[in-house]
Amino acid sequence: MAEIRWETEFDAALEKARKSGKPVFQDFWFDG
Amino acid sequence: MNTGPYSDEKVRKFLEEQFIPLRSLCIWEKPTGLMERFGIKWTPTFLVHDSGGKEHHRFVGYVPSDDLLAHLGLGMGKILFDTDRMAEAMAQFQTVIDRHPNAGATPEAVFLLGVAGYKHTHDPKELRRAYETLKATYPQSEWARRADPYSAIPL
Repeated sequence: MAEIRWETEFDAALEKARKSGKPVFQDFWFDG
Repeated sequence: MNTGPYSDEKVRKFLEEQFIPLRSLCIWEKPTGLMERFGIKWTPTFLVHDSGGKEHHRFVGYVPSDDLLAHLGLGMGKILFDTDRMAEAMAQFQTVIDRHPNAGATPEAVFLLGVAGYKHTHDPKELRRAYETLKATYPQSEWARRADPYSAIPL
């Protein structure tokens, strides 16, 4: 199954959002 | 790696089609700038921003697939609601209600559907209908209690 292609840089995500008109879903996570 | 609800194909498809998915790692020993900017105190914390970066919806804690999808839909509706696109917001809240009737976020969608309906039509019966739906379908939810003042509106 394909995996979600996550953006990891906030500014890059906003740039993609501005270009696409899509909202941003941001997951704050902890690797522990 | 995608685990939990992210391993659900429906979630993956919805996230990639409707959103720009962004993951931000939290480091408790030395909080990141994004943690400080958004006041993150626990993980997971999920935010929905509009395409300009303004936050419209937030929830904290693990959620299974159906709850996550409902929160995503609710967040989309709240972007429309907050930017005064009430007819579109109503359609979006109704979609959440229809697709995720048992999700935790759905009573809020019912409440906001009533409010958006009232703001769109100026008919207070929209608020009373939201109260009636919440009382009948989600009587234990906080949103049913929040709608209680609307019980006095004549139908």
